[in-house]
Amino acid sequence: MRKISRLGHEARIGWSLVAPALAVIALIAIFPLGWTFWESLHLDELRMPWLGKPFVGLANYIEIAKDPRFWAALGHTAFFTVVSISLELVIGLFLALAMNRVFRGRGFVRAAVLVPWAIPTVVAALLWRFIFESQGGIANALLVDAGILKQPMVWFIQTSTAWVPVILADVWKTTPFVALLLLAGLQNIDLTLYEAAAVDGANAWWQLRHITLPLLKPAILVTLIFRTLDGFRVFDLIYVLTGGGPGTSTEPVALYTFNALLQNLRFGYGSALSVVIFAITFGLALLYVRGLGVRLGGEES
Amino acid sequence: MERHGFSGAVRLIPDSRLRRGPASRKLKQGALSLAANSRSAFILALALAGPLAACAPTSNKGETVLTFSGSALGAEGTLVAKQLKRFMELNPGVRVELQRTPDDASQRHQLYVQWLNARVGNPSILQLDVVWTPEFAAAGWVLPLDRYGPPRAEFFPATITANTWAGKLYALPWFADVGLLYRRTDLVPNEPKTLEEMVTDAQAAMSRRGGPRYGIVWQGARYEGLITGFVEYLGAFGGRIIDDKGEVVVNRPEAVRALEFMRDELYKTNVAPLDVLTWHEEEARFAFQNGNAVFMRNWPYPVAAMSDTAQSKVAGKFAVSPMPASGAAPSGHSTAALGGAQLAINAYTDHPDAAYKLIAYLTAPEQMLERAQAVGQYPTRPALYNDARLRSAIAIPLENARRAIESATPRPVTPIYTELSEILQIELHRALVRQVEPREALNSAAARINALIERTGMRKLMSGAAKESAP
Repeated sequence: MRKISRLGHEARIGWSLVAPALAVIALIAIFPLGWTFWESLHLDELRMPWLGKPFVGLANYIEIAKDPRFWAALGHTAFFTVVSISLELVIGLFLALAMNRVFRGRGFVRAAVLVPWAIPTVVAALLWRFIFESQGGIANALLVDAGILKQPMVWFIQTSTAWVPVILADVWKTTPFVALLLLAGLQNIDLTLYEAAAVDGANAWWQLRHITLPLLKPAILVTLIFRTLDGFRVFDLIYVLTGGGPGTSTEPVALYTFNALLQNLRFGYGSALSVVIFAITFGLALLYVRGLGVRLGGEES
Repeated sequence: MERHGFSGAVRLIPDSRLRRGPASRKLKQGALSLAANSRSAFILALALAGPLAACAPTSNKGETVLTFSGSALGAEGTLVAKQLKRFMELNPGVRVELQRTPDDASQRHQLYVQWLNARVGNPSILQLDVVWTPEFAAAGWVLPLDRYGPPRAEFFPATITANTWAGKLYALPWFADVGLLYRRTDLVPNEPKTLEEMVTDAQAAMSRRGGPRYGIVWQGARYEGLITGFVEYLGAFGGRIIDDKGEVVVNRPEAVRALEFMRDELYKTNVAPLDVLTWHEEEARFAFQNGNAVFMRNWPYPVAAMSDTAQSKVAGKFAVSPMPASGAAPSGHSTAALGGAQLAINAYTDHPDAAYKLIAYLTAPEQMLERAQAVGQYPTRPALYNDARLRSAIAIPLENARRAIESATPRPVTPIYTELSEILQIELHRALVRQVEPREALNSAAARINALIERTGMRKLMSGAAKESAP
């Protein structure tokens, strides 16, 4: 009995100690989320006050489900996320492996690699837009000189070619970040494992496949979570580069939501969209953590 | 006023406290550069500061305080300040404070909507873009002007139509913007009488030795500018977006032909470069100003820069005329998209009568003329086009300017214009980049606009409004 009450006492102290932190979380995370959800159950069009602000239940969600533009936007977002993250992971892994080697000027290289990551996204997007924009742009000039293109092309008026600068810009900008995360993971791997493997006659490929990659799994997971969530929320890059065009064929869900919420000032519908995006990204994060069977702390034995 | 997006958008913090005393000037400039860094932070700051600023004007006993918000940058700012000062001298007991709002149209719109939702009475006079009036009127955010007996007949009819909702006039046109056809007179001496002639002229000029690369340049990116261009081709073929009965007619054969004509310029007659599908006003201006195009569709604003030999290769070699009609469409007529600014009374102001007085003063012939002389903006009163003083203020022949404004057509006059426009922008762009056929695009646009009309309960309002505003 005494033990239990002491535990209860400790627990109470524990709770009271974390209470301020919990209050802050409730205030900055849960409260806005709840508010957004409540708003999403209403019709609230700032531009059309004559409609009032009635409770409409799930009507906004039904409108989303019926809207082909939303589903297309979801498809674009998934496409963008999968393609750019795959490229970033592969290239990032190569970079990380290279930077993990001991060579002169390693510190400098590590810092230099981060430069694209340090540039604000909007600035980077403007740069890439400039490169691809006009028929006399740098991309066209290079490709025509190299004989790959017969004549300059207008990149932003076809869906397939409009994706090129978008994905390139994202890969260029974010690969360093991926590489850095993976590098941190690499540095946690005990070097003696490689020595032992080498003594046993394992070649470099075998070492990569059976030592590096499995032990890098936690780092890869963290990277994937970060990047998938970023990818699903992609906004500024596409806003600047294509504006979602041609038509709406490169429009991601975040841009569609921005449009409903801030351009058309449809607060109810826009809130419903925000809740849907939140649910998707949250679900994805859970899926990663469960599916890959790795604890984020990397403490598995 | 789409072009305002290019003005470099200098933003000011509308905090009246910053405006007092010489030391505050420096402070304000610091705030300016800070705010310019972040568009969204700026909007937030304004949204927060608005209601605060609203409480700021303190009135002495018996003094009426109005706040005016309008384009107030550079020469325009000086002019507005001058005219406001004169108004105060003429009306002792009324003080007008200038409340800064962003020059970018969509940012200003967003702020207004937020303030008006919060029932803020300032600014007491709102500067509205031509397509906003019905929205603000239907929302009850601006007051009808009819009880003041505004001199409707003294303005261009199209500018009055654009400001009329459900039979009532809600704003007075302050200055007008119209779509114009710019032409290289050294290559095409005579104004083309039809759209078809324009294309043939362009082809002939392009095929000349050393002729320009492009035949005609316009604004084809997916934004409001695309609609203004489309409205002109649409009128040229006798089509409309919404007819007098409030029916959506944007998928009728005339409209399909208009869109096909635009598309043919890109892929068949090859007079317009595919680049225009990503262009706004400024890209078109650069192409024309550098001598790379035979024709250009644009607003009046580039005339000044292009007449300057220091920066323009076409100074003295271009002329401006209204967009022609199609020669193949009997019901077609020369059409210009109408832009420009209007002045309206905030429904929540405490001083509507004084506010109307100020609007009447600013839209009076003398002030309009002064405005044209200072910043080259077109008056909305036809009578001024017989005034010799306007001739030197506007760089193009007055007759051409007046013809263009007389052929001006408002974009659909409806409170749901912005969303209607978004639907149309997307579908037009899809057709022009050849994702879908013009007929299919316009059918889809019509279906979606009809769904929008249903969703917003506009069906009844619009047919009612059409009946009441019919002459």
